[in-house]
Amino acid sequence: MPSIESTDVKKLVIACDAGMGSSVMLASNVKKQLKGTSVIVEHTPVDHIPADADVVMCHAGLAERARKTRPDMVIVPFRLFMGDPAVTKVINAIKNGGTIDG
Amino acid sequence: MAEPTETATEEQSVVVTDLLAPASIVLGTTASDWEAAVRLVGGLLVAAGAAAPEYVDRMIEREHSVSTFVGEGVAIPHGTLAGKDLIVKDALSFVQFPEGVDWHGDRVVICIGIAAGGNGHVPILAQLAELLMDEERAAALRNASSIDEVIELMTPDPETD
Repeated sequence: MPSIESTDVKKLVIACDAGMGSSVMLASNVKKQLKGTSVIVEHTPVDHIPADADVVMCHAGLAERARKTRPDMVIVPFRLFMGDPAVTKVINAIKNGGTIDG
Repeated sequence: MAEPTETATEEQSVVVTDLLAPASIVLGTTASDWEAAVRLVGGLLVAAGAAAPEYVDRMIEREHSVSTFVGEGVAIPHGTLAGKDLIVKDALSFVQFPEGVDWHGDRVVICIGIAAGGNGHVPILAQLAELLMDEERAAALRNASSIDEVIELMTPDPETD
């Protein structure tokens, strides 16, 4: 599985199927939490993950599709749109340093 | 986003009712199951002229693959990527089920239907995300007793992006 040092993360993408609902809400929360850092947060459909994304977070049910689209990227699956420990872990790594595993 | 103008807050803030029409808000109703609930919120989007009737089937499909339950008793049903061409214009609908609806094991009191081809609805969803992080305001939304109250709670704060 790919991994990345948090200091190398420039763009974080939150992906869902259509990119119009749940990913929008989570992206807005994450953006708020990463305010003050230089990390760009975007939301996209899972089949359209941009090539320059460093870390992708998506619902566990879509992780396989995301891995198919971007096999070399760090894909972090989550289950809860609010307060998921996997999401918190990524945010804490970006803020405090550490490795993010896909 | 919007250009700063002299009449600050009024001009900069998103007009929620442009996307969430009062006619698309239903309070205090019931649904036998999640599918009936999705048909209800989806039907409101169709009635608002925002999507073709088949869009509702895409919403149900999406719910079968990944639940749109987001927490705090709220689900945000919307179509799949493949259903995007069935959208006529961006719109939201809002239905409150005070008794709750079983949502694949979660309890849903508020269902917000989304039809979005663009990003016009993003500030409102961002507001919803923020509102749901605040337990008191999340409860206020679940217990809202008037359409005005719903619109007020869903209106993005002008000072946040």
